[in-house]
Amino acid sequence: MTSYQSELGGRSNVAEELAESQRSISIAEFFEKNKHMLGFDSGARGLVTAVKEAVDNALDATEEAGILPDIYVGIKEEGDYYRVIVEDNGPGITKEQLPKVFGKLLYGSRFHVREQKRGQQGIGISAAVLYSQLTSGKPAMITSRTEGESAAQYFELIIDTDTNEPEISVDTTTTWDRPHGTRIELEMEANMRARQQLHDYIKHTAVVNPHARIEFEEPREQLKFERVTDQLPAETEEIRPHPHGIELGSLIKLLDETASHSISGFLQDEFTRVGQKTADSIITAFVDRHFGREMSWRPPERSAVETAVTDAVTNKSEEATAAFAQRIGTVLTERDRVAHHELVDIVANAAEHVRSESNATFGTAAQKTTAGAVWSVLTDDIESDLSRIVDDTTTSRKDAETIDGMARRIAVKFEDVERHRLQKETVASFVARAAEQTETHDGTTFGETAQENVVSGIWSVCRSVPDDPPKVRAVERDRDTASELLGAMRETDILAPPTDCLAPITETLVEEGLRKEFDADFYAATTRDAEVHGGDPFIVEAGIAYGGDIKSEGRIDVLRFANRVPLVYQRGACATADVIQDINWRNYNLDQPGGSGTPNGPAVVMIHVASTNVPFTSESKDAIANVPEIEHEIELALRSAARELKRYLKKRRTLEQRQRKRNVIADILPTMADKLADMTERESLAIEDSLARIMNNVLIERTVDNDAVRLVVTNHSDSVADLALTDIVSVDPGDIEDATVVEMDGEWFVKWDPSVRSGEQAVIEYDVNGNASFDISVEGIEPEKLSINA
Amino acid sequence: MSTNTELDADARERLLDLAAEFYDQFAEGEVPSMRIPTRTKSNIEYDDDKEVWVYGDRHSTRSANTVTGAKKLLKAIYVIDFLAQQLDEDRSSTLRELYYLSESWNHETAQFSSQDESNQLIEDLEIVSDVTREDFHMRPEESGATLMGPIHLREQTRRGERDIHCQEDVGEGGYQIPNNPDTIEFLEHDADFILCVETGGMRDRLVENGFDEEHNTIVVHLKGQPARATRRITRRLHDELDLPVVVFTDGDPWSYRIFASVAYGSIKSAHLSEYLATPNAKFIGIQPTDIVEYDLPTDPLSDSDVNALENELEDPRFQSDYWTEQIERQLDINKKAEQQALASRGLDFVTDTYLPTRLEEMGVL
Repeated sequence: MTSYQSELGGRSNVAEELAESQRSISIAEFFEKNKHMLGFDSGARGLVTAVKEAVDNALDATEEAGILPDIYVGIKEEGDYYRVIVEDNGPGITKEQLPKVFGKLLYGSRFHVREQKRGQQGIGISAAVLYSQLTSGKPAMITSRTEGESAAQYFELIIDTDTNEPEISVDTTTTWDRPHGTRIELEMEANMRARQQLHDYIKHTAVVNPHARIEFEEPREQLKFERVTDQLPAETEEIRPHPHGIELGSLIKLLDETASHSISGFLQDEFTRVGQKTADSIITAFVDRHFGREMSWRPPERSAVETAVTDAVTNKSEEATAAFAQRIGTVLTERDRVAHHELVDIVANAAEHVRSESNATFGTAAQKTTAGAVWSVLTDDIESDLSRIVDDTTTSRKDAETIDGMARRIAVKFEDVERHRLQKETVASFVARAAEQTETHDGTTFGETAQENVVSGIWSVCRSVPDDPPKVRAVERDRDTASELLGAMRETDILAPPTDCLAPITETLVEEGLRKEFDADFYAATTRDAEVHGGDPFIVEAGIAYGGDIKSEGRIDVLRFANRVPLVYQRGACATADVIQDINWRNYNLDQPGGSGTPNGPAVVMIHVASTNVPFTSESKDAIANVPEIEHEIELALRSAARELKRYLKKRRTLEQRQRKRNVIADILPTMADKLADMTERESLAIEDSLARIMNNVLIERTVDNDAVRLVVTNHSDSVADLALTDIVSVDPGDIEDATVVEMDGEWFVKWDPSVRSGEQAVIEYDVNGNASFDISVEGIEPEKLSINA
Repeated sequence: MSTNTELDADARERLLDLAAEFYDQFAEGEVPSMRIPTRTKSNIEYDDDKEVWVYGDRHSTRSANTVTGAKKLLKAIYVIDFLAQQLDEDRSSTLRELYYLSESWNHETAQFSSQDESNQLIEDLEIVSDVTREDFHMRPEESGATLMGPIHLREQTRRGERDIHCQEDVGEGGYQIPNNPDTIEFLEHDADFILCVETGGMRDRLVENGFDEEHNTIVVHLKGQPARATRRITRRLHDELDLPVVVFTDGDPWSYRIFASVAYGSIKSAHLSEYLATPNAKFIGIQPTDIVEYDLPTDPLSDSDVNALENELEDPRFQSDYWTEQIERQLDINKKAEQQALASRGLDFVTDTYLPTRLEEMGVL
């Protein structure tokens, strides 16, 4: 995405630029029959969906223009209908673009671009327009003003459902208080039965968009969510598709549109993370799939080769024939294995060699005959070769009979294969068939794992063929070939796509957002590193708020978000639900009846999945699909936040125990002291020191002897205490060593920041003239761990 | 022997010293604490000089560092206060009374939750102050056991001195041993030995058959696990009159423990072994060998009996060839018998045959 913020005001045609990448697809009629799929299946639901689409649009529009969103959402009763009003302070929409943006289904740049955006598909707002039109018969009312324009535009817009063409019925100028932005009003048949979902949607939107100011007004209530940060989400980059994340239809479309002729060029131009090397790997795999590989065999005895050559050659001098045979024999037997095309090369090279040495020429025909003869010798005993491969690749001890039987049956199948060139599937079918026969005839089973091992054993000695891959045009024309290319792309190891196309909310702002909407005791948030599902990068974030005003009865609340859009329906069908239910929350000190399922307690969990392509279970985009990679990341994010919660709860528990102990001890000790003083007839005791020691606390004591004041910090805890003490003294204490004194309105603030190690003491002393009062406060330590006697 | 008032003053002094110790700990800013030997079987050892079992070196510390420790110390301080006052006023009370009395203490945490707790605390205080419970003027509930035999003694009672002959001046029940036998002075006697008997039935049988008269025996009724006073008077009779002591109980593991507490001291009051135990006391029976020899009516050993016997094999007090053999024998025959099982051979069998035979074997007669 390009930033327009700096250009705003400088140029007035921002909106026009944004519209450049829009393309159109006709689908208006489709909607009428499929509105349930799009989230408009009931009046209650329709209202929520319309608000959702309009708000998503408004947020995207403002962010794309680099503007901090200021959004108004209104719902008004209009007789039998409801009117939805959504206003933003975005860049506004030009007269030319406006009907297209709001009036044509599946019209929007998002559908074609790999970038993290709320909408992802252009079906959103236009569906709401259509729904409004179908239920109320009223046009969509749109007000828009671009930066610097003196007046706002006002349109009324109707869609022709047969042609998917918008018609502008009213086009005037109007006055509007916003300097720039867009306002859409839709009247529709609806009801407020989904009030709760509507509120949740708005509230949750505010949680994940802490940079947005949102105002919400409905007939009964009014909500306002202030902005908590001025930081816009990071700008995202549009990326080319990743070879692992593309489907056959899209691939054929790309092949159709590309300017490249070679597959290598096509791969490098159209995909992310594909350079020359990766392209080569893909092409090798593609060629293997398209042409197959050639099986290579162990070379026979050299003499046999030479005899075969000598016998095959006619009409050449004995000397030249011998040289030719010798050359072929030497080169061939030096090789570990030889495939058909390699044999052809060897023969050709030998011919060239003999020609340069002795001027005898072995022409193409002679070479072909020779190669054929040697090939017969080479493939004369493939059975024992295969037998060795079968033996080597099957770890479990098969008896020799079974191995030979397998080898014999596989060998037979090679007879009909020209040049022994074949696809991996063919090898697999040979082996499978051979295993079947072995079982029928020999009564011994040859298991699937063993079969797989044999297949890969054979495949690993098959040689890639030197044939050139088909050109782009050829691939595009043949669906099967395209499918082979796709398979090769998926099979090849390729670097994960770049992740700067994603904009996570970030840990800080996740926490900030929760803090804003939930008055809790504890917050934790985690943003995971980017991962990839298919070819799409994604990032999972999780947050937990605990305690405070959050209701403690019943299940915890789960807030789900995809690309910053709250998901309010189909909670149970969502991948997040499965992950949450599978975690053992008791490990994290949350109550989970039965040890599985959604836990109970005063907690709110939020999960955000950001991706260039969030996989949903349906078009209405209510639930995230169960993609293993995403589920795994959700789990890790939740566990990470939950670990922080656990630490917090544990600490809170120890502090509570500590407090309880302190309460008991503080009750017992003075009684003991009084009683002892009484019995021994001595003066009454000060017990703070003993108490601090028992509680392993940091003790602060003051003694005043005439005018001499002595402040002692004793650390009975087992860790260093870094304290910040402020002692407010009513008279001037003069200069104090180790402390600073500041006078304010006739009071002296003695500031002292001692660092006291376990078991040690720190002291300051000062003098006060006459009657003084003191007021000490201490920071840097939990109150439960502090005893003050000063 | 020091007079009672001196004793009382001394005990009171020691208690107040304990309080002063706690006071000082507070004053120093320390955590008040009390060190007590661990009172378990594994922490008793034989004292060669005193010939009794005493506590070993293992100690546990009751300190106000923990909530339970603090509660215990608070209770201890209340009890010390109460005991000091009781001594001051020359009054006495029972262990059970102490338990109920704690209900009246103003600090709820100081109140005892069970009598075991208060009993144990008294024992703790005995150990740390080195004063016996009797000197705190604390008594157990049950009246002490009795003795019967040719001995003339003088008891200091609250109502003055009483001279008593333990055959002529007492009824069938015998002489009631007071809670603090140290108030008794032995005047004269004709006794040859002391016979401690576990059960009331057997004690009555011996008296009815005139065994005490016939053999010049002081018959001490142990009444099950003997009270301290019973053990104390046995020790004094042995020490001061130089009389041999023999113990006659049922033939089961629990009765062997009764013998052990007479002879070696109990685990719970090992701090007082020197004062309560009679190391030279000998065990008459019923021995497992007697069960076999006299073919006595028996019961099979229960699981808990077997357990107890096996524990005794590990008990440091039973580490002698005699006891190892007897206990293994009993485990072997898997039977136990009561004292009164001897009646299966006639009511006089015990006095005419069994006891004389055994006493002769042991060299007492």
